[in-house]
Amino acid sequence: MAKSSPAPNCGSPDHNLHRRKFLQGLSAGAVSTMSWAGLFGAPAFAEIAKKKQKHCILLWLCGGPSQFETWDPKPGTITGGPFKSIPTKVPGTHFSELLPKCASIADKLAIIRSMKTKAKEHTQGINLLQRGHAPRPPFTRPTIGSVLAQQLGQLESKIPNFILLDPCPEGNEFKGFKAGNWAGWLGAEYSPVRVGGEFQIPDAHKLDSITEDDHEAREALRKFFSKKYENDRKSAAAGSWNATFERVNGLMSCSHLFDLERIPQADRERYGPGAFGQHALLARTLVEEGAPFVMVANGMPWDSHVFNHEIYQMVVPDLDNIIFQLTKDLEDRGMLEDTLVVAMGEFGRSPWINQARGRDHYPNAWSLAMAGGGVQGGALVGATDKYGAEVIEDPFNEENLFATIFSALGIDPHAEFQLDGFPTFHHVENKAAAIKQILS
Amino acid sequence: MNSPTLKKGKEIKLPSHVLDLTLGHNNQLYASCLDGGIYQISTVSKLLSKPYEEIARHDNFASGINWSSSQKTLVSAGYDGNLKWINPKGKEEKKETKSVKAHNFWSWQSRISPDGTKVATTTGQYLSGGYKYEPAPETEPSVKVFDIATGDLLHSFPHTPPVQSVAFSNNGKLLAAGNLMGEVILWDLEQGGKEIARIKTPDFTGWGIIKGHYYTGGVFALHFAPDDQSLYLAGMGSTTDPAAGNGKQLWQKFTWHDGVKKSGEAVKSEIGEGLMETLAFHPGGKFFLMAGRIFKGDWNAALFDHESGSRLHHQNVGFRISTSAFTPDGKLLYLGGGANQGEPDEKKEWGRVVIYQIS
Repeated sequence: MAKSSPAPNCGSPDHNLHRRKFLQGLSAGAVSTMSWAGLFGAPAFAEIAKKKQKHCILLWLCGGPSQFETWDPKPGTITGGPFKSIPTKVPGTHFSELLPKCASIADKLAIIRSMKTKAKEHTQGINLLQRGHAPRPPFTRPTIGSVLAQQLGQLESKIPNFILLDPCPEGNEFKGFKAGNWAGWLGAEYSPVRVGGEFQIPDAHKLDSITEDDHEAREALRKFFSKKYENDRKSAAAGSWNATFERVNGLMSCSHLFDLERIPQADRERYGPGAFGQHALLARTLVEEGAPFVMVANGMPWDSHVFNHEIYQMVVPDLDNIIFQLTKDLEDRGMLEDTLVVAMGEFGRSPWINQARGRDHYPNAWSLAMAGGGVQGGALVGATDKYGAEVIEDPFNEENLFATIFSALGIDPHAEFQLDGFPTFHHVENKAAAIKQILS
Repeated sequence: MNSPTLKKGKEIKLPSHVLDLTLGHNNQLYASCLDGGIYQISTVSKLLSKPYEEIARHDNFASGINWSSSQKTLVSAGYDGNLKWINPKGKEEKKETKSVKAHNFWSWQSRISPDGTKVATTTGQYLSGGYKYEPAPETEPSVKVFDIATGDLLHSFPHTPPVQSVAFSNNGKLLAAGNLMGEVILWDLEQGGKEIARIKTPDFTGWGIIKGHYYTGGVFALHFAPDDQSLYLAGMGSTTDPAAGNGKQLWQKFTWHDGVKKSGEAVKSEIGEGLMETLAFHPGGKFFLMAGRIFKGDWNAALFDHESGSRLHHQNVGFRISTSAFTPDGKLLYLGGGANQGEPDEKKEWGRVVIYQIS
C-alpha cells in the first residue's frame, strides 16, 4: 500500500518544532485547563504555540515601603520628610532624591501612585497583595506566584516554576506567611522553591555512594508505588506530593543555577553587596535560564515604625540600584520585553512621623513601580493630595493591580480556575479592570 | 546628697519637633526644629508677642543650634548640610550673617566648644557596604570643625558613617564623635587633631533579625564628665527587632587614659526600653540627665548620679525628648522634643519645650 506523502508545510519555523520544544512552549496551566483533543483545535493551538515565554520578577518589599521616600515625594510639606525630589527622564515626573538611578530610566518604568487598599496590618496586607483578594474561608486562593507558575510554567522544565529567593529567614508576620499555604487550591506543585542566604539548594546532590543506575531504579520504584497510591486512593494530596518529587528531581539537575559564585564578579559588584541585590541578580540569571516567576524578598526591612529616615537612607538607594541594574540587564539581553518586573509591598507608610521617628502602616494611598514586558515605560498613573494622605486621582485596588499584572503577561485576568467541586473562582474577581494607562 | 527632683513648669508648643536647644545671651532660649525653623522662644510671659518667633530657616530639618558667648552669635546646622551664623538681634533680613556648606549629606549633630571659638558637626549617609548591610565607607569627611570667627574649616576627621553624635571636652582640648556601629573616636585638638582613643561598644547597635537584616541605633549622645576623665555615651540598647525600638534606655561611661575601659553603665533594674537621645550635665557636676523616648517602663527622663551611676530621679514627660539644656545657675532644665505629629494639619503645633524647676 502506498503511503501518503506528508503534507507539505509552508516553510514557517513554526512547523519545525521539536516535540520537546513544543511541549516546553505549552504552559502548564494551559494544558491543565483544556482537553488533549482541544489542544490541537484552532485557534488555541496556534495561539499557544506562538506565545513567547513570559517571565515575572517580583521584588517584594515586605513591611510596606514608604511612598514619600520613593515614587511619590512631597518635599517641603509637613509630611515630606528630609529627602528632596529630583526630576526624572520623564518630564514632569519626580522621584525621591534617593532614586537617582531609577530617575535616569524613568522612561522604562511605570509608576502607580494611587493604590488604595484596605488591609492595615501585615498579615492581612501580605495575603491581600500576594493573593489579590480578601480571604474567603475555607478556600485558599493561590498567590500570584503560584498562579503565574501554573500559567507560565513549562511542563518539562527542570527549573522550578516558582522560585522564592529570601535570604532573611525571619520577618515576623512574613515569616508566618512563608510557612503557610502559597499555592492554595492549585496544589503543592505550584508552591515556591524557597532559596536564600547560602545561594545553594542544600542536599540536592546525588550521594557518591549511589550509582546512577541505582538512583534511577530507586526513583522508578518510588514513582510506581506513589502513582499506584495516588490512583487507588484518588488522592489529590498524593498527586501534589508526586509533583513535588518530580520537582526535586528537577532541582537536582539545576541546583548549580542557584550558586551565585558562578556569576561573574563584575555583575555581583554592580548589584551591590547587600543580600537583596545579590538575590535580585540571582533572579535575573534564573529568568535567563527559563524560570517563569521569581520573587525576591529580604525579610521585612521596609516596616519602618522606628527610624524611618535613618533606615530609608540605606534601603532605598539599594532598591534604586537593583531596579536600575535589573532593568538595564534585561534590556541588554533582549529580555525586558518579555519580563515584567514589579516592585511593591503590602501597603505604604503614613504621612505623619510617629514618636519613634518612624512612619506607620498606611494602605489609604501608596505607590509601586513596574518595568518591562507588557507595561508602558514612562507611564505615571494616579495622584495623591498635597500631603500624600489621600488618593485624588484614579484610585486602584489589589484587584486592578492583579488584573494589570495578568494582562501584561498575556493572561486573561477574568478566566476561571478549573476546579472540581469548588465554587467558581477567577484569576481576578469582580471583573476588575486592568490599569489600562500603563499597559503597552 | 539629697536627690534632685524635677517640677514641671511651663510647656511651650512649637510648629514641629524640637531637635536642639541652646541658651543664648541672658539665657534666652533658642530651638532648632524639624520644619527647618530656628526659633527664639519666650520662656517668660510677654517677652515676645507669641511663645516663639522664627529667626532663621534651613532648607531641611534644623538639627542643631549653638550659642557662642565669645563671638555673640548663634550657629545652627541642618539636614541641608549647612551651618548658619545667626545674629538674633539683627534686623529681619539680616539675622543670618553667614552660611557655610559643611557636608553633602545631613549635619546629624553639632556642638560648640566651651570657649565659643569652634563648632563641630558630623555627617554621613548609611549606605550598604556589605552582605549584612554593614555601613559603607565615608564619601566625605564625617566630622568637621569650623572656626566660628571666620567660618574656616579647621579640622576634617575620618569616621565610619553615619556619625550621629559629637562632643567637646569641658576644657575644649578633646573632641569625640560616635556612630551607628557604636564606635567613638577621640581626637586631641591641641595636637593637631591626633587620634588618641577609639571606643568600640556593640551595646548601642542592633542588627535586625526579626524584621530585616540591617543595622540601627548607635551612639546618639555624648558628654564628657566634668573632669574630662571619662566620656558618657547614650542611645538605645541592642535589639534584634529594629522596627520595634525596644532596646534598653542605655548609657555607658568609658575611660581611655590607660587603655579604653568601660567604667560604668546604667543599672539594669533602673532602666526601661526606648531610644535615649540626649545627655546633659548639671552645672554642679554631681549628676546628669538622660532623656529620650519611652517604649516600655515608667520614665523617659531621668537624673543619674555621676559617681555611683544610680538613678536619682525619673519621670515620664509624656512626649519624645530629643534635646535638653540646664541653665548656668542649675535651677532650670529645658527639655525639647515633640508629641505625635498626627494627621496632616498645617496649624498643628506638635513641637514641645517644657521647663522644669530643679530642687
